[in-house]
Amino acid sequence: MDSEQKTIAVSGLSKTYRRANGEQVHAVKDLDLAVPPGCIFGFLGPNGAGKTTTIKMICGLVKPTAGEIRVNGLDVWQKRSQAMLQIGAVLEGTRNIHWTLSAWDNLIYFGHLKGLSGQSLTRRAEDLLKQVELWERRKDLVRVFSRGMQQKVAVACALIADPPVILLDEPTLGLDVQAARTVKDLIVCLARDQGKTIVLTTHQLDMAQDVCDRIAIMSKGQTVTDRPTTELLDLFREEHYQFQVAGTLSSEAVSALEGMAIEENKGGILISGAIASHEQLYDLIAQLRSFDLDLLSVNPVEPNLEEIFVHLVDNHARQPEVEA
Amino acid sequence: MRATLTALWGEVRKGLLISWTYKANMLVSILTLGFIFVGIAFFMGGGELDPERIASSLVGYLVWMYVVQAISDLTYGLRGEISAGTLEQLEMSPAPAGLLLIGRVITNFTITTLQVALMATVMRLLFNVRVSWRLEALPALLLTLVGVLGFGYLLAGTMLVFKQVESFSNLMNNALAFLNGTFLPVSAMPGWLAGISMSLPSTLGIVVIRGILLEGKTLADTWYEGSLGWLAVNAVLYLVVGIAVFWICERAAKNRGSLGQY
Repeated sequence: MDSEQKTIAVSGLSKTYRRANGEQVHAVKDLDLAVPPGCIFGFLGPNGAGKTTTIKMICGLVKPTAGEIRVNGLDVWQKRSQAMLQIGAVLEGTRNIHWTLSAWDNLIYFGHLKGLSGQSLTRRAEDLLKQVELWERRKDLVRVFSRGMQQKVAVACALIADPPVILLDEPTLGLDVQAARTVKDLIVCLARDQGKTIVLTTHQLDMAQDVCDRIAIMSKGQTVTDRPTTELLDLFREEHYQFQVAGTLSSEAVSALEGMAIEENKGGILISGAIASHEQLYDLIAQLRSFDLDLLSVNPVEPNLEEIFVHLVDNHARQPEVEA
Repeated sequence: MRATLTALWGEVRKGLLISWTYKANMLVSILTLGFIFVGIAFFMGGGELDPERIASSLVGYLVWMYVVQAISDLTYGLRGEISAGTLEQLEMSPAPAGLLLIGRVITNFTITTLQVALMATVMRLLFNVRVSWRLEALPALLLTLVGVLGFGYLLAGTMLVFKQVESFSNLMNNALAFLNGTFLPVSAMPGWLAGISMSLPSTLGIVVIRGILLEGKTLADTWYEGSLGWLAVNAVLYLVVGIAVFWICERAAKNRGSLGQY
């Protein structure tokens, strides 16, 4: 798709750091991303994969070694001032807001930073504080808030200029279950009800699976996969099957099923594993019958993003490094 | 332009609000500075307080307070913003971050003026130290602050790249107190030390302000005798060099990806 149709278009993005000993570290290598409007884009990967560096490059906080980043068609480095009005961000591992100011004063401050003032600013701040259910506590200093409330203020501050793009780097890190759920609901609401485009990095893969429309998995500075979430799950759903059979497995059958997981359960024996094609699936069914086993059911395994993540990242980690 | 001014006002307002949160600390800090000044004045007067002699030191000391507050805020304050992650948010403003730092200096100017007024009043009431405060000294003070802003930019830029410059900032604050002519007149220093002293960002400001407040000179007098002109040159030089260093360091930090690291 044309980059103009994408809210975020990243092409050929690379970042290389030079260590004190002169060694070069390729944090991000030739990355291409295209995030459509209104999409919740999950940006996943193990620690050190290059997610935060990429987010910071999109925010204009880290200068890329090569490549281009456009937000709503605006080059982040060529048209910085305009591009910055398109982005709101909550960055990982920091407070993002002033704990010695009240929730209200934080919103007013960040509004001023984005060039807002007057009634439009105060109305927006009021709306946001009501949206995150902190209106009654608006005059309290943020330092007395719980971690979840502080994170809600940070998200509200990122939204103060009503930017079309929200970048959330580990927004649920360190939050308890309830607070994480509130933030998660807020993310969904922002995309579904307000049409915001959200880029979300998280290690909570169940959350990513629940809320993201599209998922890119990064490893060693490169994208391992970048697909709609349903497509990613379907791809693995087609490859993994479970067979419930009744009867006794002969040693011949066990050796024929090498590579498949076999376990006994109440219904008999459960055999599960990856099947590459439909032909292989039919062959296996015929083989099971030839061993005098009663085939009770065949089901594709409901895939789990965590397993897919581990599978893809492990596969990528086993590949040899190729110097660009 | 309007958006930049709004962002600048946001910085000033934020600074004032945060300072109000720490009002007790500020009061203790002004008491501490007051005790230190009186202690040094006793020491220099051989155990006596001579109000006329103290007036000269007091003017220098009050100017030094402006300098110290500005430098501390552009180093310790900025360091605090880095660790809180708010510097990165500041950098995401459409207005240039370097320009927004001026907001911090304006906040400091306001707060330090209140502290200076308090200290001058206490000195007058307790020790009969009289200074004829005249608005004519304000342009000289502002010029001094321009130089200090430049010096602050230099330190702030260095902070973005090297992170731990607080010790250097402390060293500078103390060095300025003893080398900028607050307690020891520049004329009493050996030639080489006087040269260093005159090149510092606040010394010429103190000379000009003393001339106006204690010797009854006009701004025109200080211009004709050259001290105001040299102050202007000193201030502009510090500002230009400071902005250049800050700009280079900010770019270097973005290249290294170390802007938000501490």
